[in-house]
Amino acid sequence: MSGEEEENAADLKIGEEFLKAKCLMNCEVALILEHKYEQLQQMSEDPMNQVSQVFEKSLQYVKRFSRYKNPDAVKQVREVLKEYQLAEFELCVLGNLCPETVEEAIAMVPSIKYKGRGLDDEKIEKMLSDLSLIKRFE
Amino acid sequence: MFFHIVLERNMQLHPRYFGRNLRDHLVTKLMKDVEGTCSGRHGFVVAITGIESVGKGLIRDGTGFVTFPVKYQCIVFRPFKGEILEAVVTMVNKMGFFAEAGPVQMFVSNHLIPDDMEFQSGDVPNYTTSDGSVKIQKDSEVRLKIIGTRVDATEIFCIGTIKDDFLGVINDPATI
Repeated sequence: MSGEEEENAADLKIGEEFLKAKCLMNCEVALILEHKYEQLQQMSEDPMNQVSQVFEKSLQYVKRFSRYKNPDAVKQVREVLKEYQLAEFELCVLGNLCPETVEEAIAMVPSIKYKGRGLDDEKIEKMLSDLSLIKRFE
Repeated sequence: MFFHIVLERNMQLHPRYFGRNLRDHLVTKLMKDVEGTCSGRHGFVVAITGIESVGKGLIRDGTGFVTFPVKYQCIVFRPFKGEILEAVVTMVNKMGFFAEAGPVQMFVSNHLIPDDMEFQSGDVPNYTTSDGSVKIQKDSEVRLKIIGTRVDATEIFCIGTIKDDFLGVINDPATI
């Protein structure tokens, strides 16, 4: 596959399939996995035995690195970021890492600065302050 | 990064399961077969979240087994080169350190740790800046950038760096 060689998330080269796919932020994954884990818990005594190691590790990871815990806040983050014409992947990186400054945001997601995106520093600044507002009122 | 994608798989089912609960058996078998696996293309399959469709079954000649094409939604974890993410340090040695982001193992070589951080051996091996203000040890949380991935049959392994702006320790277990 030729795409394999050129893969670079910084330029948003993650392959057609993943570019179109729905990305999930850590906090969203946490909600889904926790729900699934609860379901398993109701069905059997020892749910940890039922799940794969991949599931267990992922659950621990997303619990540790979720910026937002409250389901409403998680929904809000996605809604706020949607207003800025971001790609799914960019949206989730920003939602996961919650950069504090414009510089940091550009370092985390270099592709937001590319031409034709209509995102100048002011807009990025506004986006970040919207995000931190959600966090504060969570 | 975690993705929610639709995948397809041909499921072979033994004739003894044909009956009212055929679909349930298919789904249970699918979960057992697929969850926890890893492929280079789609990454780690963390959990199946739904079944899109179960196609028409095809009887295999001679065996009686039936193959069903099943489309299912699942959560996958797929690391990408150039991606920046957070990870937990699992082991530190003089070559560098290992970290884990969900199911993925990562290694950061000492060449890709900032030059002002020195390796300190001892009970808790760590990398520390000369003024001692920043320390990387087991259980530290770091933000790193993936610069390479290696895929083998059952695992994806990543090489990362913390030698760039806004990368490095985000949370030191010793200071909490």
